[in-house]
Amino acid sequence: MSIFALVAKQVKTHPSLIPLFIFIGGGGTMGLLYLGRLALKNPDVSWDRKNNPEPWNKIEPNQQYKLFKVNMDYSKLKKDRPDF
Amino acid sequence: MAYPSMLGFQDATSPIMEELLHFHDHAMIIVTLISSFVFYTITMMVITKLTYKSMLDSQEMEMVWTALPALILTMVALPSLRILYLMDELNFPNLTVKAVGHQWYWSYEYTDFEQLNFDSYMIPTQDLTPGQFRLLDTDNRMVVPVNSPIRVMVTADDVLHSWATPSLGIKLDAVPGRLNQTALMTSRPGVFYGQCSEICGANHSFMPIVVESIPLDHFEYWTHSMLNNA
Repeated sequence: MSIFALVAKQVKTHPSLIPLFIFIGGGGTMGLLYLGRLALKNPDVSWDRKNNPEPWNKIEPNQQYKLFKVNMDYSKLKKDRPDF
Repeated sequence: MAYPSMLGFQDATSPIMEELLHFHDHAMIIVTLISSFVFYTITMMVITKLTYKSMLDSQEMEMVWTALPALILTMVALPSLRILYLMDELNFPNLTVKAVGHQWYWSYEYTDFEQLNFDSYMIPTQDLTPGQFRLLDTDNRMVVPVNSPIRVMVTADDVLHSWATPSLGIKLDAVPGRLNQTALMTSRPGVFYGQCSEICGANHSFMPIVVESIPLDHFEYWTHSMLNNA
């Protein structure tokens, strides 16, 4: 039997496994999604060595690069550093 | 500041530390509830006269004791992450102070307007005057204006050190060749003590940090007197 059929059979006799799957599966999914976000959107990560070798040099002054913000209003920020 | 037989945190001097104190209260309540519930359950199970020898499982109970810990952990994690992101936000500082760790003293540089640099050595125990604190007081203190957002940049000159002031909720490693930055804001005037928090050799325990926060006009007077006396 496939693994899914085996699990479905066990869940029928032990429905308490359902919250387990929900929380462990949900937590694992959230972790993987955040890892993917970090890989793709974190300015410290460089994938394309030819066209975008140093993305950390291209952050805008009002760009929110973190996932959450509590008290920051990014639209009000402006650049006060000299250009290279 | 710290006192003998102290059990809890020092009083908060910065808004972040206040948040951390409230979060610690929240987490401590949850921990106390869980521990007392577990202790009570174990005690009742040990001293009970009721026995039922054919018990195999209970699906409903298992569902509860899977879902409930997950929810409790979420209730702890969400405030924690909020404070984590809060700590990283910009605070638009008015002043930048550089704290450089050496073996075995700190030096502070206020270079925004003039060049004010000085060293901060611990006062040796035999040279203490009455009222000074052993192993905590220094000859020069890092003076900052009260209620002003300040940028503190921490680095080291030789080996790893760590700039820590528990009352402000700050601990920042001083790494040679690296500049670490944190935001500091004292909500009240006073003198706040900390100690080097990364092993750095023989006198690691004898290079404390003292932050003194005073009103802005007194701060200007202090910078003038430090520049004139240098």
